[in-house]
Amino acid sequence: MSQFNDSQPIFVQIGERIADMILSKTTKEGEALPSVRQISADLSVNPLTVTRAYQSLVDIGVVESRRGMGMFVAEGGHQRLLAHERQKFLTEEWPRVMARLAALDLDPTLLLKQGGKDE
Amino acid sequence: MNDLAQTTAAPIVSARGLKKHFGRTEILHGLDFDIPAGRIYGLVGHNGAGKTTTLNALLGLTSYEGTVRVLGEDPYQKRASLMKNVAFISDVASLPRFLRVRELFALLTNIHPNFDQAKARGFLEGTDVKMEARIKNLSKGMIAQLHLAVVMAIDAKLLVLDEPTLGLDITYRKRFYRRLLEDYMTEERTLLITTHQVDEIEFMLSDIMFIRDGELILHMQMETVSSKFSQVLVRADQVAAATALGPIYSETRFGQTAMVFDGVDRDELAQFGDVTTPTLSDLFVALMQRGPAK
Repeated sequence: MSQFNDSQPIFVQIGERIADMILSKTTKEGEALPSVRQISADLSVNPLTVTRAYQSLVDIGVVESRRGMGMFVAEGGHQRLLAHERQKFLTEEWPRVMARLAALDLDPTLLLKQGGKDE
Repeated sequence: MNDLAQTTAAPIVSARGLKKHFGRTEILHGLDFDIPAGRIYGLVGHNGAGKTTTLNALLGLTSYEGTVRVLGEDPYQKRASLMKNVAFISDVASLPRFLRVRELFALLTNIHPNFDQAKARGFLEGTDVKMEARIKNLSKGMIAQLHLAVVMAIDAKLLVLDEPTLGLDITYRKRFYRRLLEDYMTEERTLLITTHQVDEIEFMLSDIMFIRDGELILHMQMETVSSKFSQVLVRADQVAAATALGPIYSETRFGQTAMVFDGVDRDELAQFGDVTTPTLSDLFVALMQRGPAK
């Protein structure tokens, strides 16, 4: 029934969803993001949790909080988020992927080549 | 501005040594707690644990021993003035059944200084509750909607909900909580909810209180709950090793053992199986079976 997984804090999961909206350009730079209240009501989560999710994106310069107006994608926010997410992927996920490939005795170069042919 | 900051910093509710006797039986054994503004509190306990008695004390509906302050006032002495800023729905929700909705709103406008009739009508727009309907002819779900519209139309700083969704179907329950988050909750307002369907509001809460046999056995921010308590699905060959770390609760189902730990490092637990944060209902079960808290 829960729309969240148990392994990560809710504010992290909400932050990821907002980040996805920005990465996919569903919401572009300078545009308004959903309000804290709206996300809180949509997901039945505490407003403070949503505020915290937004704060993590404000801290890295991706989202801008305009007083009395709400949350907006900052100018240059898309690039900053992309850089941040790439860095996170390379340090956190990529080593796991490599370890998994090694465990299954798969050759990454071959896989990429085959992938290209199949497309 | 400084004064304002100070007012918001003071707790909305504060209880010290809150006790209640019915005859010779002590129902509440001396509760101490503060509830700050802007938070959503869940109060959870078995039937008869003292939840409603605690709420009644806060609302000035019952006498008590000890000190209780709600918005800085003694609720039993200052009940009438306090009700301008406090609203509640009790589990035995009662609105005068013989009135029409329109008549109820007119009555409230006359007797309650902070009741905003236009707001209440607005909340009912889009629902099946019509102004000319008699309350006794409304369904249970519609009465809950009406009741919520009434309390939200009172500009209250504290809203107390005692089993507000009891007997409602899942659609109405969701709509009820959605409304609260959308239209009531702000940084200056405080919500105190009791419910047996605690998993449904788990993520709404900022703080949780568990009450058992008239004692608070847990009072904690939800964030702290998730860093302090963990649940592990222990692999069969690891049960003995995991047990050595002193789980506060352990249950075996279908050959799989789930254990709840208090204050044990998650990295250490990960060797035994998948580590998650227990749901509030799992935690409740775990803590209810634990020996008396020291």
